[in-house]
Amino acid sequence: MKRAAFVLTLATTLPFANADEELKPLVVEYPPPFLMGTPVPINLPNLEDASAKAPDILVPADISNLARDKPVTSSDDFPIIGELEYATDGDKESDDGYFVELASGQQWIQIDLEKEAEIYAVAVWRYHAQKRAYQDVVIKVSNDPEFKDGVTTIFNNDHDDSSGFGKGAQKAFIETNQGRLVPAHQAKARYVRLYSNGNTSNEMNHYIEVEVYGR
Amino acid sequence: MDRRNFIKKGAIASGGIILAPHILKSASAAAASGSEINVALIGMGVQGRVLLDSMLNIPGLRFRAVCDIWEYSRRYGVRKLAKAGYEVNGYENIEDLLEKEKDLDAAIIATPDFWHARHTNACLQAGLHVYCEKMMARTIEEARSMVQTSRQTGKLLQIGHQRRSNPRYIHTLENLIRKARIPGRLTNANAQWNRSVTPDIGWPRKYEIPAETLKRYGYADMHQFRNWRWFRDLSGGPISDLGAHQIDIFNWFFDAPPTTLFASGGADYYPNREWYDNVMVIYEYESPEGTARAFYQTLTTTSAGGGYFEYFMGDEGSIKISENPRITKIYREERAAEWDKWSDLNYIRRSAAPPKTDETKIDVRETAPLASYDIPIVLDKPLHQPHLENFFNAIHGKAKLTADGEHSFKSEAAIFPVNAAVASKKLHVFKPEDFAV
Repeated sequence: MKRAAFVLTLATTLPFANADEELKPLVVEYPPPFLMGTPVPINLPNLEDASAKAPDILVPADISNLARDKPVTSSDDFPIIGELEYATDGDKESDDGYFVELASGQQWIQIDLEKEAEIYAVAVWRYHAQKRAYQDVVIKVSNDPEFKDGVTTIFNNDHDDSSGFGKGAQKAFIETNQGRLVPAHQAKARYVRLYSNGNTSNEMNHYIEVEVYGR
Repeated sequence: MDRRNFIKKGAIASGGIILAPHILKSASAAAASGSEINVALIGMGVQGRVLLDSMLNIPGLRFRAVCDIWEYSRRYGVRKLAKAGYEVNGYENIEDLLEKEKDLDAAIIATPDFWHARHTNACLQAGLHVYCEKMMARTIEEARSMVQTSRQTGKLLQIGHQRRSNPRYIHTLENLIRKARIPGRLTNANAQWNRSVTPDIGWPRKYEIPAETLKRYGYADMHQFRNWRWFRDLSGGPISDLGAHQIDIFNWFFDAPPTTLFASGGADYYPNREWYDNVMVIYEYESPEGTARAFYQTLTTTSAGGGYFEYFMGDEGSIKISENPRITKIYREERAAEWDKWSDLNYIRRSAAPPKTDETKIDVRETAPLASYDIPIVLDKPLHQPHLENFFNAIHGKAKLTADGEHSFKSEAAIFPVNAAVASKKLHVFKPEDFAV
């Protein structure tokens, strides 16, 4: 498939883009589905329909997961269980030993891609051994490690602006083995920061894996 | 020692573990005086963490110790409680915990089923009140020993049948079934808990428990430790793991133990799992209102069938209840008198009528769709929190346990024979002594 006219327009403002490139849908590898424990009812006003599909994101051939084994920092530098580096270690299973659990309230993790990149998509797996939805999920990218300047928000489902980043238009979603694939629209950034504020089963924040597709 | 002998020698008969005298003590005066309750957490796996999440919402608790044979889970408990402001000690071994922690009032036990009786009996004998997860034990003899030890020590024993403290279930039984008689005469029930296919639970190699430690605690290997629910010596399988909650509701709502059961099932799908991966059972009840029959199924190869619920059907109406309010619904039979009075009293709330379309037109020979209602009671806490609150309030003398060992034993006595009935393919007839301690 050749890049459509829409994307050609983008190329004029994106110096990284190449108008002649062949694009293919981004293929993300999923871990096996796995559910355990007692289900907890989910009651959120902005929950998306269970039939919602992941977006098709077209990417050039030289796209890869830039986050793999990259350094991870967090608002909680003393996780309850697990290590921050689990978020970029390539393991996407949801069992004990594969996720890092951060404290309650709003928490974030940040991945340093170690140089500026053209980001096409971010995929995140938080915890998929139980049907639950994380609250106030916000994903930002920036070249500023403090996220004060040049910040682009690529996802925000904080429907009531409880995080203070403004109301988000995206829906809350139930975690599954497919995680959540978020288009980044070729944003240029070195750092990716992901926020959440507890989930519908408990007040904690979890990460299994974050993948950042770009070049 | 092989595992079966190991379990047998776990001293479960009439009271369980014999503890050293210095471990024996009465519960501290703290609980009785209404001050903080000192709590030990025994088992910090998935269910232990769910209970901890709920307990962190309950004021008046002081967490003192965490026990788990897996260092990973032990660390989880210690760190999580540190975040919450509690400095607790972590133990691999419960005897060490009971010997060193001198001011405990209560233990929360969420270990694998085959450990429940030994852990419960040890804690009761050490003078602690105990909240123990269901199924009470791996065998009915072990479960009986827990009730006996509770009697001997005078300590409270609450079993984790958390629906018995759920205000939605209490409202359903006390107000809808008994007072308003919404279903009329209860004639039938069915319940189910179906789950889709799941792989075995894994573990990262870096967190493996040493083989000797696993053996010391009754596990053949790490795979068995992580997947204990599927092994016959360690658990009762899905019928006790999932069925325990819902068959308990049959017994509670029918206000009687079953008289017979007939069951079928098999280990048909998973080649490496010992327990039946699908079980169907039919109970017969002689309730105060007459004979009733209840069907229960748990399937672990499909999530079809509408989730997990208990459905009570009578000659005037039916109540489908679940921990998930979205699955809950009440239906009025055409022949029943209007329920306006109960709507006015807010016992029930009429459901919004679905829009009529051509597709909803029915053949005149079919029964018209029944009027449907909802339960207006809301549980705005984690599912297990009311049950834990009931336990702690009972320690303070402010409540009566909703699932004490005595009643839970009577209820679970109806569940223990199911697996044997599956194997024998014969009708099981209960005797009064089956429910006696």
